[in-house]
Amino acid sequence: MLVQDIMTRKVVAIGPDMPIRDVNALMEQRNIRHFPIVESAGKGSADAGARGSAQGEADHLVGIVSDRDLRLVGADHPLAPRGVYATDPVRKVMAAPVLTAHPLDPIEETAKVLREHKIGAMPVMDGPRLVGIVTGIDMLDALVQMSGVYEAATRLEVEVANRPGELASVLAAIAARNHNVSSVMTSRSDAESVTFVLRVNTVDGRGLANHLRKSGFVVLWPVEKPTES
Amino acid sequence: MTGDRREAGGAEAREAERATGAVRFVYDPALADYELSPEHPFRPERLELTRTLLEACGALPEDAYAAVETLPARELARVHATRYIDAVKRASRGEGLEEAYAFGLGTGDNPVFAGMHEAVLRVCAATVTAVELVASGRALRAANFGGGLHHAQRAKASGFCVYNDLALGIHRAVDEHDMRVAYVDLDVHHGDGVQWLFYDSPNVMTVSLHESGRYLFPGTGHTYETGRGPGRGHAVNMPLEPFTEDASFLEAFDIVVPRALQAFQPDLIVLQAGADMHRNDPLADLSLSLAAMGAAYRRVADLSERFSGGRLVATGGGGYDPFRTAPRAWALAWAALTGAELPEAVPEAWRQRWAEASPVTLPERMVDDPSAWEPVPRRDTISSHNRVVAERLMEVMETIWSGAAPGTYDSDGEERT
Repeated sequence: MLVQDIMTRKVVAIGPDMPIRDVNALMEQRNIRHFPIVESAGKGSADAGARGSAQGEADHLVGIVSDRDLRLVGADHPLAPRGVYATDPVRKVMAAPVLTAHPLDPIEETAKVLREHKIGAMPVMDGPRLVGIVTGIDMLDALVQMSGVYEAATRLEVEVANRPGELASVLAAIAARNHNVSSVMTSRSDAESVTFVLRVNTVDGRGLANHLRKSGFVVLWPVEKPTES
Repeated sequence: MTGDRREAGGAEAREAERATGAVRFVYDPALADYELSPEHPFRPERLELTRTLLEACGALPEDAYAAVETLPARELARVHATRYIDAVKRASRGEGLEEAYAFGLGTGDNPVFAGMHEAVLRVCAATVTAVELVASGRALRAANFGGGLHHAQRAKASGFCVYNDLALGIHRAVDEHDMRVAYVDLDVHHGDGVQWLFYDSPNVMTVSLHESGRYLFPGTGHTYETGRGPGRGHAVNMPLEPFTEDASFLEAFDIVVPRALQAFQPDLIVLQAGADMHRNDPLADLSLSLAAMGAAYRRVADLSERFSGGRLVATGGGGYDPFRTAPRAWALAWAALTGAELPEAVPEAWRQRWAEASPVTLPERMVDDPSAWEPVPRRDTISSHNRVVAERLMEVMETIWSGAAPGTYDSDGEERT
């Protein structure tokens, strides 16, 4: 799964001179938490509004602003940014330089950057053009989709040795019973072993688990019934 | 909001109800053609086992039988996608087997078999017949123990279920008879197919008690699945811990089901009486005895008296201990529907009749004595967990039902008489 598969394409960008109070209003109105801030080469600053996927002219990305950057502006609070007022241009509070993603980045790379830098969103740049934005929520959506949780299934956790062919043999044992597997995820791995979470389209998850156990696999979930051991 | 319509419908139905208090057993020997494969855990013989047990008990008179009526093709298309119906028909003839995988067909759980379309269509027609008998006033209650295929989805076979007979029956009641239908699913697995098919419906409430999706297929049935849009507040899910056992199951039932039905005020209750919550079931671990299962069926029948003018349709469902458990469970369900008294002992004639076919010793009593079973460890922890979940669930549902969250229902809680 790539960034281009999960990003929002109708990105709303604003110019650096938009007053902070207008940015706040636009966030509220559009139900959006992050705006990339771009300067158009010709005009000096871009107009606010939905731009769709920008065509032709290059977007000069100068910053990004999130609801966190704005929430204390003008507040009577010790942590409020000093000397910044709601009438000031957003460039006074925006974050720069901006970490960006590429449409062909794998989402796990992007998720890692978001997490390591503790940021909520990244504008997606295809060369000079702003083509989308990807957020932590998009990552959650991707996780949900990758997990196959919308499929009626039984969840299995299997621990195998960390060496070639182990997962294949688990899947072969499942295939031998003609069950479809709707997702495979790694939940943990170290030098010795790997734990996979499988979602299998069968009612008889316990029967399958017992069958795998008899074939020598370590099934962590569903747990073994005391009466079966 | 629908007061006028419901008053009128109610009066008409009450009139019909006075005309007959009949309870019908919808039956066709060919219902047993729904055999997914000879080795498959879903055993169609359960219907014959049930029927013969009831006859041996003297609880199924000749005039209780009702024949299966034809189900128009357009009704099937209300629930299932045309491309899916086509795929089932083709697979049924042995064609298009490669394409069938996309529809969940040809798997270990849902193998393709010759005549599958016709066989499952008959099961659906039988459940729709049961609904029609009750909705039209020709009977007060009816049962199709060959039905209960609650996992089937709009365009996918799932969990041994090809078409969704329950959804078809509910559609008949809602679309043709202008009824509000409460669906109560006691099968050990979450009633996901029916729930999702009516998730937006203001006219259908689905209530499912099941072993938690953490441990069991299909993985859904969380308390926060409460319905959507005009159907908000009309999906009620009570996930139970493995090894819940009788007392805790009935406690959860009593916390959740009566109040849900009171909030919804149905015209008809459809009960999916899966028999797989039993201790002997090989596919699940709720570990109930027939005492609690019988008690639950009787409670549903009593609730139909309180909330739906007595109107109740029951189906079978899961139940993978086909000789010992399913026949007794459905005999108890039939007794709950009819008020028939069953003997304490399983009739000897029935035991002899099936002794050879059964791989296990057939039971001697109609209802088990769970006190003879080895106690389950952690019983108090499990019970207390279930109680907390049930109470929290009801807090959430009450908020929705009270109108604090969007939804449409009668919240006055007045019982209709």
